[in-house]
This record gives sequence, structure tokens and C-alpha cells, in this order.
Amino acid sequence: MIDDATLKAWFFREVFPLEPALTRYLRRNWRNESDIADLRQEVYAKVYSAARERLPLQAKPFVFTTARNHLINLAKRAQIVSIEHVADLEASAVAIDTVTPDRHLTARDELRRVQAGLDRLPPRCREVVVLRKIEGLSTKETALRLNVGSDTVEQQMVHGMRALVDFMMGGAGKIRRPQAKKGAAKATEQ
Amino acid sequence: MSSVVQTEEIAARWLLRREEDDWSSDDQARLDAWLDASPEHKVTFWRLESGWQKVDRLASLRRPGVPEASARPALKVWRPAVVAGLIAACLVAVAVILPASGLLGRDSYATDIGGRATAPLADGTKVELNTQTRLRAAVTRKGREVWLERGEAYFDVAHDASRPFVVHAGPKTVTVLGTKFSVRRDGDRVEVAVVEGKVRVADTGAAKVKPALLTRGDMVIADGGSTLVAATSVERVASVLTWRQGLLSFDQSTLSDAAREFNRYNRRKLVIGDPQAGAMRIGGSFEAENVEAFARLLQEAYGLKVEEDGDSVKISS
Repeated sequence: MIDDATLKAWFFREVFPLEPALTRYLRRNWRNESDIADLRQEVYAKVYSAARERLPLQAKPFVFTTARNHLINLAKRAQIVSIEHVADLEASAVAIDTVTPDRHLTARDELRRVQAGLDRLPPRCREVVVLRKIEGLSTKETALRLNVGSDTVEQQMVHGMRALVDFMMGGAGKIRRPQAKKGAAKATEQ
Repeated sequence: MSSVVQTEEIAARWLLRREEDDWSSDDQARLDAWLDASPEHKVTFWRLESGWQKVDRLASLRRPGVPEASARPALKVWRPAVVAGLIAACLVAVAVILPASGLLGRDSYATDIGGRATAPLADGTKVELNTQTRLRAAVTRKGREVWLERGEAYFDVAHDASRPFVVHAGPKTVTVLGTKFSVRRDGDRVEVAVVEGKVRVADTGAAKVKPALLTRGDMVIADGGSTLVAATSVERVASVLTWRQGLLSFDQSTLSDAAREFNRYNRRKLVIGDPQAGAMRIGGSFEAENVEAFARLLQEAYGLKVEEDGDSVKISS
């Protein structure tokens, strides 16, 4: 049994940098775009459970094989998916994705990417992230500065964090909110 | 609702709370319990944590002179070599970010019930806000964006081909180069009317539906998933925009619809007493803020019964 500290370090070092390629792979083999985030989380959870028993020698083939098997199982279970789709998946070589070299971003690349992600946030959300992350204020101090409630700051931070992380992991930097209506109502309370 | 979104929200809250100064060992125990509850929790939390660490690079953009907050785990001590390496990137980045931090307040516009206001934006665009409207605007060297949170606004956009003008109205995103148009939003219902030029209306986020391209006299009415593009007429679009002169225009509208329009502008609400009265068709132009005059007209022209009290005017047949 592998302990969590080792697993976490392995995920940070080996698994998460694969996310842009993993997302592309899922998107190519699954027609419903709105399922992608769920599928990715399920793949990560399966990778975690398997790696707990024994840490794979090579992360990349392991993650993509897990993803492929998961998609095949889902496709077989779903009645509406054609047999051809499953056959395609089974035949598709995961190797295609393993050919592209991992791109480890330099500190400067990362800063630039964070900056681009920040520019994509709505201004209100960006303001909160700037105060907390750059100016180093606490949630309470940020709330005082902007004359809003701490919950508002927290809600904006949650949104900003999810969007920025998505962007840093190769996503579009736009994320789904739990309930669009509720989010809108919150925004107008400010 | 997708469970991954929910789990991610909870994980994000934990991560943020852990950055606060008052994080205790009890909090840590509660977080550990949540993490141990399922592998999904753990991988979601780790994923956010690993991405969020990269966002910590932003701390290097901190302006000199701002005192550093007490030792927060998020703020790493940078080795001089790394700092030097980052300086070039910072010089570019700071220029973009500093105006952004001053945006708040200056860029939020709102009107109360019955209110109307004009907001001149930095690029020369004029935005007119109708009653009960709330919007935010960000005009930078890179782009021009407006978020319409609720209500209705008329845009007279200054032409600038290098910076598209984008209006985010909930489920719809409207993109233009330079033109005159209005956007009205009630929750997920969005209405766009074009007075001049060309406007593109697309779904916000994933492009499931082909964007609609509108020109002069066109209107789009979208409610949630369904979108209706109507090539109406220049006159019809003009009548939608009479609010800019403080007028409401109706053409064969039902009295119920007319009452709803009046109620957007006035605290004193029109109440329709019975379905027969509500189904009546009316037309004409009326002062938006003069409910009394409208009611009097209904009484005189159609013989409807009008009962007034403090904050409502009841109309019945």
C-alpha cells in the first residue's frame, strides 16, 4: 500500500501535467462535451485507487490505458452507443498521445499563462483574486477593502480559482457554475 | 447538477480556508476527514492544489511598498535568480494588471427602478441603462467587455476593428465591431435588437448552436435553450427602444404584457383584475413613469374599472 504523501507527489509530478493531453483524448473519444470534466475526475479517481496498490513505473501509458478502459466500459453500458464506437476505442492506439513530449512550463511561461487566465476572469472576480493573491490580503481584509461580505469574496475566489486552475491545466478558463441562476442572484446582491 | 462541479466547489473552499491565518488543527482534521471520504475528493483537491500553486506566481507581481502579509503558505520565498528571471515578464504583466486592480466601482453601473442613466466608456462607446439595470464594463487595450447582470441597455459602440466589443448576457454572448444595438436580460431570457451595423449572438461557453448574425432591424429573442431570430423591421426595433425617450410603445400587445412593462419602471404596480381585461389588445405610446395617465386612458377609452390605492392600481373589466 502506497501512502498518500507519495501518491500526492506522484500525481503532482507525473499525472497532472498530462491533463491537457488527457482532456484532448477524452474529447476526441466522447461526443458529449459536458461530460468531459466528470470523465476526467473519474479517470483520476481510478488512477488513484490503482496506484495505491502499486505505483506504476510509467505514468503516461497507465493514465491513458485507464482512460481508455473507462470509456469502453461506459460505452458498453450505454445502450445508445454504437458497437462501432466501442470497436474504434478498443482498436485505437493510446500510443498517439504518448508520442507528444510533455511540455514542462518554465516559471516565466507559467507566469505568462496565469496572467492570460487572469485577463479572462470577469472584472469583479479578477479584482478579488488580485487583492488576495497579489496584494496578499486575507479574505476578511479583501471584503473590507471592497466593502462586500466575506461570503461574496469567498464565492468569487472559488470561481476564480476553478477558472484559473482550468486554464493552467490547458482548459479554456471558463468553468461551469453549480447553478447559473444562483450565481447571478449572488452577483446582484453586492 | 454535476457532482464534479459540486466537489470542486467544496475542494476550492477548503483550499482557500487553509490559506487563512486562523486555520486550526481542528480545521485540518475536518479537511482530512473530507479527503478520506472518497478518492474523488482527494484527486479533485490535489488537482486544484497543484494548479493553484502555479497561480502563486502572481505573488511575484506584487507592487513594491505593499507590506507582505504574515507568513502565508501561498507566498513562496523566491530565490534571487528566479526573481531576476521573472523581472522581464513582470514588467509587461504589471502594466496590464495595475489598471485592472483599479477597475472596481468605476466600472460598475446600476439604475434603480424607474431610473435611466448614460455611461460613457473610455473608448468612446456610450451605454444607456434602462430601469433596474446592472452592468459592469472593462475597457482595456486588449478588448472591450461588458457584463449585463440584469435589465436592459442600449449600446452606441465606437468603431475599433482591433478590439471587438463583447456583451456577456448570461446564456448569450454578443460580439460587435461598431454599431448601435440594445440587449435586455431577465435571468436566462435575452433579447437583442439591432439599430445599425452587424452583431453576432452566440451561446456563452461551448458553442452548441451556430451563432446568429444580425443586421439592422433584426431581433433575437432567446430563452434558455431556444433562440428565435426574427427579421422584423426597423420600425419594430425603434419601438423597442422608445424607452430611451422615456416612452413605452405597444402595438397590439395584451394589457397583461403592457402592465408587466409598466411595472418594470414603477414602484406603483399595475394589477390586472381579471383575465378578460388582461387579454385586451392595446396600442400606442405612453410615458413609462406615468401609470396614472395610462390607467385613466384605459378608463376613458375602454371603459375599464380603475381602483387606486397606495402602491397599486387595479384594472378590471
